[in-house]
Amino acid sequence: MVGIVLVSHSSRLVDGLAELLAQIASADVPIALAGGTDDGRLGTSGDRVAAAIEAADQGDGVVVIPDLGSAVLTVKAVLEDGGGRSVVMVDAPFVEGAVAAAVTAASGAKLDAVVRAAEGARHVAKL
Amino acid sequence: MQSFALRRGLAMSQSCEMTVRLPADLHARPAGQMVQAVAPFDASITVAFGSREADARSVLAVMGLGATADGAVTLRATGPDAEQAVAAVVSLLGGLGQAKTELQSAVQSTVQTQPSR
Repeated sequence: MVGIVLVSHSSRLVDGLAELLAQIASADVPIALAGGTDDGRLGTSGDRVAAAIEAADQGDGVVVIPDLGSAVLTVKAVLEDGGGRSVVMVDAPFVEGAVAAAVTAASGAKLDAVVRAAEGARHVAKL
Repeated sequence: MQSFALRRGLAMSQSCEMTVRLPADLHARPAGQMVQAVAPFDASITVAFGSREADARSVLAVMGLGATADGAVTLRATGPDAEQAVAAVVSLLGGLGQAKTELQSAVQSTVQTQPSR
């Protein structure tokens, strides 16, 4: 199953989102979190992102969803270091993209379909 | 179930349409379950509520319908296993209702077993 990594400046934000995903999608989807800095402050950590990618990887690929700004830069730096694997960072709204990705991964879809679902979340009307 | 139409065309092509009354709101969790329920089928399938129609494989689009309990949703599928895909969704939606009905009957039986004064 495709894995999902949530990267946020806040560990509580990713904790809450992961809780939501387990309910809407399935507890079977490998979801790993990289929220906050190593010393528990708001920010992002390359080590945490790398560890989360490792944890979410079951061999079918990993989709990484960053929240804002420097989270994107942190993920980029990690992917440049460890290139060659099926790890894709997506440009998607954080909550909607994660929900779409997790539900699609839970249905057994392949990496490219999970990436499309996450990125397509931007165009789905909420109201 | 209000209407049911099944048309068989050429050997491998089939379309199926069914309208059901929702026993419960089509919120995030059932929308997520719907995507997983239709995943095994090849047919394309949509869910319509009022003037809006969503791909049953898009959890966000299904949630965005804002379909609420007692509203009618129409399922339309096209493909070799259209009928089975629609049946899977109908069964899922029926399950939502069953949970609600069980809850209601549990409440009701509690009420009924109150000793009379």
